[in-house]
Amino acid sequence: MPEVLVVDDSKVMRDMVVACLRPYPGLAFTHASSGLEAIERLSLKPYDLIILDLNMPDIGGIEVVEFVRGQDTLRHLPIVIVTTRGDEASRTRALQAGANRFMTKPFTPEAILTEVRALLERGQG
Amino acid sequence: VSVDLADFLPAYLTEVEELLSAANAQLLALETAARQRSASPRTVRELFRALHTIKGLSAMVDVEPIVSIAHWMETALRHADQAGGRLPEASIEPMMEGLRAIEERVRQLATGAHVSEAPRGLLERLEALEGAVRGHPGQEGTSTLQLEPTLATKLSASDQEQLLAGIASGRRALRLDYVPSAERAAQGLTINTVRDRVSQLAEIVKVVPMAGASPGGGNLTFALLLLTGAEDSALLDAVGGPPATVRSIISPPPSEPTPISALFTESLAPNEEGPAVEPRRSNVLRVEVSRLDDALERLAALVVSRSKLARAVNELTKAGVQTRELVQVLQENARQLRDLRASILHLRMVRVRDVLDRLPLLIRGLRRTTGKLVRLELDVGDAELDKAVADRLLPAIVHLVRNAVDHALESPEERRAAGKLEEGVVRLACHARSGGRLELTVSDDGRGVDAAAAAARAGVPVPASSSELLDLLCRPGLSTRASANATSGRGMGMDIVKRITVDQLGGELSLDTKPGQGTTFSLCVPLTITIVDAFVFECAALRYAVAVSAVEEIIDVDTARLVRPPGLANGGMTLVERRGQAVPLVPLERLLQRESGREGPGPKAFVVRQRGAPMAFAVDKLLGQQEIVLRTLEDPLVKVPGVAGATDLGDGLPTLVLDLPALGTARGGASRMEFVPQRGGEA
Repeated sequence: MPEVLVVDDSKVMRDMVVACLRPYPGLAFTHASSGLEAIERLSLKPYDLIILDLNMPDIGGIEVVEFVRGQDTLRHLPIVIVTTRGDEASRTRALQAGANRFMTKPFTPEAILTEVRALLERGQG
Repeated sequence: VSVDLADFLPAYLTEVEELLSAANAQLLALETAARQRSASPRTVRELFRALHTIKGLSAMVDVEPIVSIAHWMETALRHADQAGGRLPEASIEPMMEGLRAIEERVRQLATGAHVSEAPRGLLERLEALEGAVRGHPGQEGTSTLQLEPTLATKLSASDQEQLLAGIASGRRALRLDYVPSAERAAQGLTINTVRDRVSQLAEIVKVVPMAGASPGGGNLTFALLLLTGAEDSALLDAVGGPPATVRSIISPPPSEPTPISALFTESLAPNEEGPAVEPRRSNVLRVEVSRLDDALERLAALVVSRSKLARAVNELTKAGVQTRELVQVLQENARQLRDLRASILHLRMVRVRDVLDRLPLLIRGLRRTTGKLVRLELDVGDAELDKAVADRLLPAIVHLVRNAVDHALESPEERRAAGKLEEGVVRLACHARSGGRLELTVSDDGRGVDAAAAAARAGVPVPASSSELLDLLCRPGLSTRASANATSGRGMGMDIVKRITVDQLGGELSLDTKPGQGTTFSLCVPLTITIVDAFVFECAALRYAVAVSAVEEIIDVDTARLVRPPGLANGGMTLVERRGQAVPLVPLERLLQRESGREGPGPKAFVVRQRGAPMAFAVDKLLGQQEIVLRTLEDPLVKVPGVAGATDLGDGLPTLVLDLPALGTARGGASRMEFVPQRGGEA
């Protein structure tokens, strides 16, 4: 069962992301309310995909991407960044740091589902 | 499966309201900083993040006007951040307007109204802020901190400044290493809880995650960079003890005083940034009040089945069965139910401090419109109130604060002439009272209430006591000023304050005023109230309410279908046909001993269940359905089966809330109530 880590300091946003991905069969979701919590969770247990907000206190999404890509075990973890209009500069930085995809709010449930499906199923079959 | 993000609207509203309330406080903090020409990089970033989150969430639920406003506010803050955390004073007002405009649209969304477009003029003003704050280069961090290179690269210039300023103010700069593990997570110790605990003891400047083998066998260490006066041992305890470590990050150690001034570039003042204004920290679960009410309702059902059980056990006991153990279990069960009820009620408690978090903003506005100098003092501690009470009480408090600034406080010149400080004080304080009550006082150090002038205005003798004076002030329509003005002339007078406090919440209102020294209003209110969804109806020219949950159906009484069976089989009771079934129909006014002045029963009837059988009560007119505050009657004279309590429907007059399922069920089917409700004789 693929495990997805949803990282956002807004609970409503995490709930929305999970609701959007519910139609994908067999996904298990873990919430993290901060970049630090995400890094802690990633050190304790493997995940198959991470959905990451850029704008968080203490440690933003970019720092999480940099940290994740600096780890041998996490080098290939698919990362979907959730951004908002106005984040263009950060988007470039996140891309350089090694994020895989971007979703810009507002996005439709179908759009994020498609991206997640593509990332989870790549290299399979 | 289709997903509709519009379903998230209620959750969106709660979260955005919280963010806005934090944003208001942050912007006020930035205003103070702007006046003092100091930088507040952290607050700028926090406000930026709040608006960014609002923008993103609003985009998801498709509220474009809020997205636009938040976008331009955020842009201005981005530039303020680049300018080292300085938002110019001229930007504060448009930003305030921006928050107001977002709040207005959030309210529209909440009430299901159409969301207005973002005001063009406001957007242009906000957009013009861009660039205005450019050109102030950020402070160069003069790093004399002895940090490992890996850590040093993770600290921004403002993080380093913050550390240096903290050291200058006499605190220790420490690095506390916390190593997470699965075992600790299982015990509830995670970086989030660590962060919460440590922030009780220290100011957290930065948390840096560091990969690589860590003591204790993990592969991750969090380095928390702190400013603190706390003991090492306390810090280590907070993160669960070893393998955590703590050490100083500066050298020489602070015990050998460094010439601090040498560490700073010219304009950097120590401790320039006040305590961070953060949104209420997580670890808090937001729940819609209706869900708690739902839980309470289920609990009520549980209480009913318990009393059935108790009755059944009672019967068994009477029949000679050994029930001692059962009775014990029942007693225990009763206690558990009481505890459960108390904990559910406790969930509805909100902190008075949080309820009042808009007051600083109100005072700020009043300062501007009245030109008076005024300071707000909040002394509310950790007092809590039921959300239902708090929501009703807030308008009364806002009114009292408005009045205090507007009428009670003198102008700076008058105050100086009277030998007072130019700046007046409005003070709010809370004290818990016995009997589940909370006393809230609103005081000012203004001119005091002029009893003679108030009496002259109302054309009555000068009141002899403060309670008589209060009664006079609470007369509808009485204003202590000849003309209502912009701030207090909003159609709400002391009469409403009294109605909310006394009539609606069942509390007490009192007044203490001393000429030339000030006035204190005390509001003593119950900590919790019972809210009931009720039908309001008219019967024999009086209004009553009945809980919606008690009513099975409301039917039209068709006089053509009434049956009055001959003989005494039904005690002469009329029957009404309801879906092929004959249901006893009682004109409600008969039970209430009122004259309807009409032949036969009223045209509407409430069908309720009495001992499992349907029973219809005919009334004159259904007036509507609304939430009411149920006040149970404590007067022994009116302890009558069939009356749940009284309520105030907003007219200041008590309205009886009937318990129809219990009304008239005493032997004989139609016992009468022994009293006639008084309808506000003195009003």
